[in-house]
Amino acid sequence: MKEKRLYLDTFRVDEPALDRLIEEGRREGGDYCDLFFEDTTWTDLLLRDGQVASGGFHVDHGVGIRVLQGEKTGYAYSERTELPLMLEAAKAASAISMSSAIRRPFRKAGLKTVRNEAPEMLSGFRIFPERMSFPDRYPFRADWRTEEARKFVPLLERLERLITAKDPRIVKVIVRMSSQVSDILQYNSFREMTFDTRPLASLAVSVIFSQGNVTENKSVSRSFRTGPEMLTEELLLEIAEDAVRGIDERFAAKRPEGGEMPVVMGSGASGILLHEAMGHAFEADFNRKGQSIFSDRVGQKVCDARISIVDDGTLPSNRGAVNYDDEGVPGQKTYMVREGVLRSYLHDRISARFYGVSPTGNGRRESFRYPPLPRMRATYMESGDADPAEIIASVKRGIYVDEFSNGQVQIGEGDFTFFVKSGSLIENGRLTRPVKDINIIGNGPRALADIAAVGNDLKIDEGAWTCGKGQSCPVSCGIPTVLVDHLIVGGE
Amino acid sequence: MAMALEAGAQKARFTLSWSCMDSFATLNGELDRVNHCLDHALTICLFVDGRFGSFSTNLLQLETLGPFLQKAVSTVRMLAEDPCRDLPDPARTARDARTGRELGLLDPAYASINAARRLDLAGKAAIFPEMGNKELRSDTGMTYRLISEEGEYSDTLTDQLVIDSNGLRCRHTETAFEYGVETTIQDSEGRKYSGYWWDSSPLLERLDLRFLGRTAMERAAAQIAPENPESGKYNLVVDSECASRLVNPLLKALGGYSLQQRNSFLEGTLGTQVFSEGLTLVDRPRTPGRSGSKLFDSEGVATKEAPIIEGGIVRTYYINTYIARKMNTTATVEEALRPVLLPYLSPVLGERPSTLDRKAILEKVKNGILVTGFNGGNNNSSTGDFSYGIEGFLFEEGRITRPVREMLITGNFLTLWNHLLAAGDDARFCMSKLIPTLAFENVDFSS
Repeated sequence: MKEKRLYLDTFRVDEPALDRLIEEGRREGGDYCDLFFEDTTWTDLLLRDGQVASGGFHVDHGVGIRVLQGEKTGYAYSERTELPLMLEAAKAASAISMSSAIRRPFRKAGLKTVRNEAPEMLSGFRIFPERMSFPDRYPFRADWRTEEARKFVPLLERLERLITAKDPRIVKVIVRMSSQVSDILQYNSFREMTFDTRPLASLAVSVIFSQGNVTENKSVSRSFRTGPEMLTEELLLEIAEDAVRGIDERFAAKRPEGGEMPVVMGSGASGILLHEAMGHAFEADFNRKGQSIFSDRVGQKVCDARISIVDDGTLPSNRGAVNYDDEGVPGQKTYMVREGVLRSYLHDRISARFYGVSPTGNGRRESFRYPPLPRMRATYMESGDADPAEIIASVKRGIYVDEFSNGQVQIGEGDFTFFVKSGSLIENGRLTRPVKDINIIGNGPRALADIAAVGNDLKIDEGAWTCGKGQSCPVSCGIPTVLVDHLIVGGE
Repeated sequence: MAMALEAGAQKARFTLSWSCMDSFATLNGELDRVNHCLDHALTICLFVDGRFGSFSTNLLQLETLGPFLQKAVSTVRMLAEDPCRDLPDPARTARDARTGRELGLLDPAYASINAARRLDLAGKAAIFPEMGNKELRSDTGMTYRLISEEGEYSDTLTDQLVIDSNGLRCRHTETAFEYGVETTIQDSEGRKYSGYWWDSSPLLERLDLRFLGRTAMERAAAQIAPENPESGKYNLVVDSECASRLVNPLLKALGGYSLQQRNSFLEGTLGTQVFSEGLTLVDRPRTPGRSGSKLFDSEGVATKEAPIIEGGIVRTYYINTYIARKMNTTATVEEALRPVLLPYLSPVLGERPSTLDRKAILEKVKNGILVTGFNGGNNNSSTGDFSYGIEGFLFEEGRITRPVREMLITGNFLTLWNHLLAAGDDARFCMSKLIPTLAFENVDFSS
């Protein structure tokens, strides 16, 4: 977080111009207007076939202008920040006021009005960010924008050598480094101004192995909101080790017999289960519209009292961390489920106003080209008290999963699926045969209710997770070892 | 171009894109969101001293572009040499895309659409004002209420110009008009189901708003009271609405990057029969007036109608200039832009009827599971193994009998496509990939 002047100069605007834009946006009767200025530079370098022979940088610059009238949203953006062009965008956004607003009465969410965890923020629609005081959640020593590609080329080459040396079956290695830095300036019709500089970088490898006639692949990534200081020797060694871990098992893996069975989720990346199965259904826009299976269930018991589920924007340097969300609301730690009771949805300003609660700092967007929506940040389940080894030992026949790829959820029905890249069969309490390339399907509320044990080993995954909900958003996830009594496993 | 060459690039390609999109969205029949999006982008490929880099910016003022290009050239010089990088042979590039309007994809009506007209169109498909929160009855006699309806009308104008330092100049201009409706219903026991339906066309007069909301609602209502059969092998019929999910992995596996990185289960199959003889897939990117048509690919190479898979034999790998030089093979085009899967009926199902739509295929196949939507899942690009969540219906004696959900199909694409029973003639023209209703035998379902 740097000085206000730097941000105003980046976009060549002054405060009277910001007020003029707000005025234009509300000219037709809108009751709220905000501005989201963004200047992003991202760079990428690609190592393929042993050399870094591809790379570049990209610039995206502009301002998004949003007008709210009741629950309705008018949105437009300009890629140039000269005042006449921004005024045209403001005028386009004001078109939302061309018909009467939807003004439903505020609703009590469940048994009582929800109060979230930041008592100073209970003043409703206005959040007074200038009264907030918290440390920068993503400090960085060096700025990716001023570093030259020549500094990183040897690092990518070293990582490739580290990986290739580990297994003679490796036939291809791709290493991709991407980094971006965004300067963000936000202003709204309460005359609240926030500004922020957000770094985000990831280092990802994809490795192809060949054994006889069989080919297998493995992907590993790490992503942080920080500067180039993340590229340590320890990180390279860790990624190289992960890139070959479990490959023997993957070659030996078979699909299990399908059907309903207990599933043990390994700690860390299995947190995708929370993201897909529960997190999306807790996003307040789906609940506001009555579409979510958790609509009107705040205050109700939804699972065992040993379970607490959190969405957290405060983890230092985490991929999902936010100083301010994309509506200028400070990032927070939000308990969605605490001790088995549904405590809060994930709110943007629109849903917070609808429910009569404070926004939770979940209003996020892909870029200035998109209006904000309730989106997750770092979503995880807090540790329980079970020993992970004992959880596995308690299963007579089931599946242990430790690596997932993509998942998906149907918000209304609550059905979710996710794809198991690797795992193991559990027979009589022991991990026996490796399994791979199967899908697991379940229903969010039922899976929550079916959680029979929660391990004491919460791990936040550091992979480059990106959530798609009409627009992309960097997130992270985590979970301790968890036993779900009944899920459907695809198989032969 | 002159500035890039002056800055030190020996060759360059510039792609200038411009698009304007307006959308009006409704919630329960009332205007809910208005979006206006105007985008410019310049994508720059630079070839400098045997090296290559790719850059983009939306800051298009000349005084900004000068320093940008100088920094870009100096960045490329920090990368490794790559002798395989080059512009395409000018003889392969499109010469018939001069105005951008050759394919008839630009609707003159676009210019006259204003906010009032968009508001009118946005409200046309809404059924909530008439049907919302009333007790309704599905075709199967189940009662339900429509509790939410989100509709979105959008229109887009895109214009793209590609030039390179070998004299390439290609332009593509098109309009797109779309309407999508998402409905959520609640049955008498409080369970929720959602249904989606949409239409799209390059021409406004071809956008059919009739029945969109009703179709979305009926698709949701048809799912009430699912009852899954036991795990096992069933015949699989996939609705044309979602059948491209089973074709996309084949197209990816035929792509040059997957092949060159040895991450394709179709490596080494060019010219050999690896699928059922019933599978014929052709690329028809030059059909006028149809979504997906385009006269050139991202390098400016001329597209052409060509078989992708013919009678089960792999006919085309999609290999651009760079990958062709790396693989020491002949370049084609970057990707199949408008694949069309041709009708087929296995001899074991008897004579082919005059119409081979979903209804006819269900009657021919008789028993199995009809998939109307996929819910997650993935495939292994190296092996072709897949596992997908599905929803749909059990069908018996050619008739749908009950909904199923939370089921999984698992298999391998080579095996699956060797068990092809039928491909219909009912692909939706609003899609850029024309994949009809498909039927396969002996697929693993988990329940």
